[in-house]
Amino acid sequence: MSRFFATGSDSETESSSEEEQAPRQPAATFTFSDDEEETKRVVRSTKEKRYEDLTNLIKQIRNFKKNKDMSSMLTSFEELMRAYQKALPVIAKEENGVTPRFYIRCLFEMEEFISEVWEDKDGRKKNMSKNNFKSLASLRQKLRKYNKEFEEDISKFRENPDLADEDEEEEKEEDEDDSEAEFSAPLTLGKTEAPPDPSKFLKTPVVQERDEDDDGSEDSMDWGSDSDDETSSSDDDNQNIAYRERFLKKTTDKEEEEKKKKEKKEKKEKEKRKQRREEEEDGGGEWETVKGGVAIPSKPKMFAKDAEIDVGLVVKKLSEIVAARGKKRTDRREQIELLHELQAVAEAHNLGPAVTIKIKFAIIASIFDYNPKVSDAMKPEYWEKLLDRIMETLNMVLDVSELTISEQILEEMEVFDKPPYKIRGCVLTVVDRLDEEFTKLLKECDPHSNEYVERLKDEKKVCAIIDKVQEHLERNSVSSELCCIYLRKVEHLYYKFDPEVPKQKQGLLPEGSVSSVNTMETLCKYIYAKDSTDRLRTRAILAHIYHHALHDNWFQARDLMLMSHLQETIQHSDPPTQILYNRTMAHLGLCAFRHANIKDAHNCLVDLMMTGKVKELLAQGLLPQRQHERSKEQEKIEKQRQMPFHMHINLELLECVYLVSAMLIEIPYMAAHEFDARRRMISKTFYQQLRSSERQSLVGPPESMREHVVAASKAMRNGNWSACKNFIINEKMNAKVWDLFYQADRVRGMLSRLIQEEALRTYLFTYSHVYDSISMPTLAEMFELDQSVVHSIISKMIINEELMASLDDPTQTVVMHRSEPSRLQSLALQLTDKVNNLVDSNERIFEMKQGNFFARGGNQGGFRDRQNYNRQGQNWDRRAREGRTY
Amino acid sequence: MAKFDLTSRMGQYLDRHLVFPLLEFLSAKQIYDENELLQGKLDILSKTNMVDYAIDIRKQLYPLQEVPESLKNRRAQVVAQLHELQNEVSTILKLMSNDEVMKTMETMKDSKTLLNYLTKDYDFKIELMDGMYRLAKYRYECGNYSVSTSYLYFYMLVMPSTDKNFLNVLWGKLASEILVQNWDTALEDLNKLREFIDGNTFSSALQLLQQRTWLIHWSLFVYFNHVKGRDLIIDMFLYRPHYLNAIQTMCPHILRYLATAVIINRARRSALKDLVKVIQQESYTYRDPITEFLEHLYVNFDFDGARSKLHECQTVLYNDFFLIACLDEFVENARLMIFETFCRIHQCISIGMLADKLNMNPEEAECWIVNLIRNARLDAKIDSKLGHVVMGTQPLSPYQQLIEKIDSLSVRSEALQALIERKLKARSQDNRWGAQEF
Repeated sequence: MSRFFATGSDSETESSSEEEQAPRQPAATFTFSDDEEETKRVVRSTKEKRYEDLTNLIKQIRNFKKNKDMSSMLTSFEELMRAYQKALPVIAKEENGVTPRFYIRCLFEMEEFISEVWEDKDGRKKNMSKNNFKSLASLRQKLRKYNKEFEEDISKFRENPDLADEDEEEEKEEDEDDSEAEFSAPLTLGKTEAPPDPSKFLKTPVVQERDEDDDGSEDSMDWGSDSDDETSSSDDDNQNIAYRERFLKKTTDKEEEEKKKKEKKEKKEKEKRKQRREEEEDGGGEWETVKGGVAIPSKPKMFAKDAEIDVGLVVKKLSEIVAARGKKRTDRREQIELLHELQAVAEAHNLGPAVTIKIKFAIIASIFDYNPKVSDAMKPEYWEKLLDRIMETLNMVLDVSELTISEQILEEMEVFDKPPYKIRGCVLTVVDRLDEEFTKLLKECDPHSNEYVERLKDEKKVCAIIDKVQEHLERNSVSSELCCIYLRKVEHLYYKFDPEVPKQKQGLLPEGSVSSVNTMETLCKYIYAKDSTDRLRTRAILAHIYHHALHDNWFQARDLMLMSHLQETIQHSDPPTQILYNRTMAHLGLCAFRHANIKDAHNCLVDLMMTGKVKELLAQGLLPQRQHERSKEQEKIEKQRQMPFHMHINLELLECVYLVSAMLIEIPYMAAHEFDARRRMISKTFYQQLRSSERQSLVGPPESMREHVVAASKAMRNGNWSACKNFIINEKMNAKVWDLFYQADRVRGMLSRLIQEEALRTYLFTYSHVYDSISMPTLAEMFELDQSVVHSIISKMIINEELMASLDDPTQTVVMHRSEPSRLQSLALQLTDKVNNLVDSNERIFEMKQGNFFARGGNQGGFRDRQNYNRQGQNWDRRAREGRTY
Repeated sequence: MAKFDLTSRMGQYLDRHLVFPLLEFLSAKQIYDENELLQGKLDILSKTNMVDYAIDIRKQLYPLQEVPESLKNRRAQVVAQLHELQNEVSTILKLMSNDEVMKTMETMKDSKTLLNYLTKDYDFKIELMDGMYRLAKYRYECGNYSVSTSYLYFYMLVMPSTDKNFLNVLWGKLASEILVQNWDTALEDLNKLREFIDGNTFSSALQLLQQRTWLIHWSLFVYFNHVKGRDLIIDMFLYRPHYLNAIQTMCPHILRYLATAVIINRARRSALKDLVKVIQQESYTYRDPITEFLEHLYVNFDFDGARSKLHECQTVLYNDFFLIACLDEFVENARLMIFETFCRIHQCISIGMLADKLNMNPEEAECWIVNLIRNARLDAKIDSKLGHVVMGTQPLSPYQQLIEKIDSLSVRSEALQALIERKLKARSQDNRWGAQEF
């Protein structure tokens, strides 16, 4: 007994200490040396023990809460923390590390209670002793700190505090309270005697226990109303307030003793009841493992022994089991077991494939249900089980020829016994969820570990499943469903590089062989033609473009992008589609680069790179938070959108390609407009890199990719193409970037040629004014280009009036015309530019005053991520084509 | 040669009757096997009612075989049905033979008043028009194109443009006019049809695209035969975005005709830039010597390549039904283009090299250049000792640049000032009026 008092505080009234005992009774069993008690102890597992400790402490805390005994609460809380620490290994073992719900509930309630008390300043000052107040403060702090660890769970609990459960529980308490009202006196008196030990129930068989439980709750339903009336009459104003709160209020109001007593009684009953219940719950986990071994005894529970098992009976039983799905009290693991058993029964009695399939679908659904959390992935062993089950089921579905599975079939219309079978269900949703789970699983693994690779091996299975479902759906050919499954398939296909494709392009493969591009083509074309929701089509187009871009089909990819007009409308679509759009644009840029279309590559990538949030835009990782830019929920949602690692696009490659293309465009442009007052920047990001390197007082040899590009740009500015090339193409850069390309050598060749050409242009821009004439063969030699190429480049520059020169054919030289304007002349020219600007702006101001102002503008700003897309349309050389060709 | 022949690609966008001229042309050129061509013609004819023609071809193809009975029977059938159709609409046919009525009809603008007039005075029923339509179609299928044009003309006079057959009638009319080679009316019909297609909202973009593609192909007949066609083809194909889109998506081979039209049209050099852009964009789906010639000349400035392509172009043009007429013009203009570009880049050119690039011998080339200089198209002089042409271009001096830049400034400022003054005056007047009222 002294042990109790050690924990309980001295300020407690007698009655409260009385109450204490009941809950702590089980713990006290150790002290008793009764034989009976002894045997009981043997049965209990460590888990039970730990849980019991926890629940007892929780109950204590609840009591203190009601009394507002802060100091005792503080000590109990500390104890609770310790107990939980002790229980952790057990929890990790039994619950897979998921914090038990009752524990969370306690934390949550405490938090609420404390914040309530804290908020109630008047009451605090008036009613609280100094000691109490101190404890309250420290408790508040401690709790806050502690709760941080469970933040997620608690917030989840807050969202869904299972009220139904709570009510039910309370109802039960009330009923108990009523029924045992008479016994309350003896009970309080005879508190030294142990109340019926809950662990006794352990010995009774499961089924019985369950029945009893059911009965009890049914009764409570009847009784509940009475008790409700009673309580409401006792305090009529608080009728609508939740029961728990009512208790709190009473205590704060310090109502009459009578009520207090009653309430205490209630409390006691409640706790007793709860304890029992919890024990039942706890036991649940254990019994099951036993049950797996002794399947036979539980069989009669399914069907009466002599019952003739037929289709109807099995289906009825199935619906019974399924009906329990999703309810709070249902044991999910048990459900799976039950369904398996049912399947065994059905198979044993040869009830036909339809019934088995139906049961299998139920099994799949319950495996899905097994993981109660939406955001977390399921456990790997269940995942494997799930894959197998789905595979089996689909094989069966495919084997049975006359079978329709559809959501349109109502329960009543299902046909199980004769061939044109009809089953209600949806294969599509199964695949959808499977795919979702798969992504979640992948995201949970560390992408650099073997685990990820192991998991990724399941991709094959998932694809196989999708193929099977496709085969199944093609039999029925409902176009909307087919579109869905095709898109699912497309989404598993589009980011994979098929080495067959280039071979096919070169004509190495025999005719009629199907590469992934062909598959994509057929699938996407079907979606284009048949889809009625815009979303599927948009996604299909994007995936299609992505796939083309991946396989170097630049023209097809470009035309598809231009024809789809997606650049104008993409900002109205949902975030995942926008992410897909970004990914597609990234690959389109890479593809353009490989095809030496530097301008297009730059335009594709500029919007992604300009923001500096490539990672976010491609959903390949979150940026570190800056001043709480996003809330918890937002972050969670964003996390869900992340791409699994194997679908990532290499960011360094992307940036390098962007910077190199910016360099190839920007450097000659800079050289050409060196003295131009109205020069504008083509690529901001590139400029930033240049400037940051210029700011350094000492520039060392380049290390990172960016430094390489900057160094190369500087070399190019001087027309030193070989240095530029060596900076761009060397071992370091090869390893970092270029080797990531398919046919890297071709890309490198293209790149060095481009560098030579652009360096030549830069050279001419920069140094033309020092020459009177330049010999073309010398230039060709300098830049190691063909003379015809040099000729062509110079001709182009002359025609475009970039270079004031003309060719002298007999001597093969370029004759410069432009005499460098004298200082006065250039100043005069600048002045004219400025005067021109002035007149322009005058005219504009006048127009503005005239009221033609509204044509400008349009709304600026908008959604953070979406701004880019608006700009996209302008940059990209837009070619409007009517309609779609498909 | 067959490599650059477009007949098979064009054929799918043409009416079967319109394909005959192309096939006739091909058989004259003897690129393909004669018998294959005949067989092709026969296949095409099998679905028309031109039985006599079919019999002729059959005789050519199988000179030893007798004409099968079935064809003879068919002929009788066709004639019988024609009579039947004619009987159905005999009232209208009578009307049409009456000159007076036709004249009054043409004066009436509104189809409604016309209809009233006809029903009141001549026992005309609107239901007969369907029969008329069928008859016109039948006549067309028999090869009596001119008759069918007059029938369709009548139909279009009477029926409003909302009629369900109106589009088909327009197409039929255009085809018949093309086949009777009445280019002026064909052009009119073409424009009508284009307006109808552009103005009408068909059920889907796809159908619209299809209609436009057909129109593009049919219009080739008109444009390359009509006097004004060369300007119009550029306007329609290059500067109407809808049609340009149709060409890009459905039939990039039309670029050959567009390119040729631009090259032979000296007045429309400005279109070249736009054309080159389009050609570059589509270079992956379609290329032939003509587009490649432009590409070499204006994108790569590869004069040797351009020269060799020009050589190929000649054979392509020679074997193209539409383009054979402008072969000489094309060569002349292409040469001029090469030369012009050359001159813009060069300061000094040796005549021998130039002659080589232009596919001419040096004397001829010199003569050609002298003519150009004489016609003041070229500011250049010939140095006959060295055999050079020296361009007389002067570089732009800073003074000129300066003047160019400030040229418009004063005009613009004055205009602005005048505007402001007028505005001020107007306002002060308003004020004065306002003050008087009180």
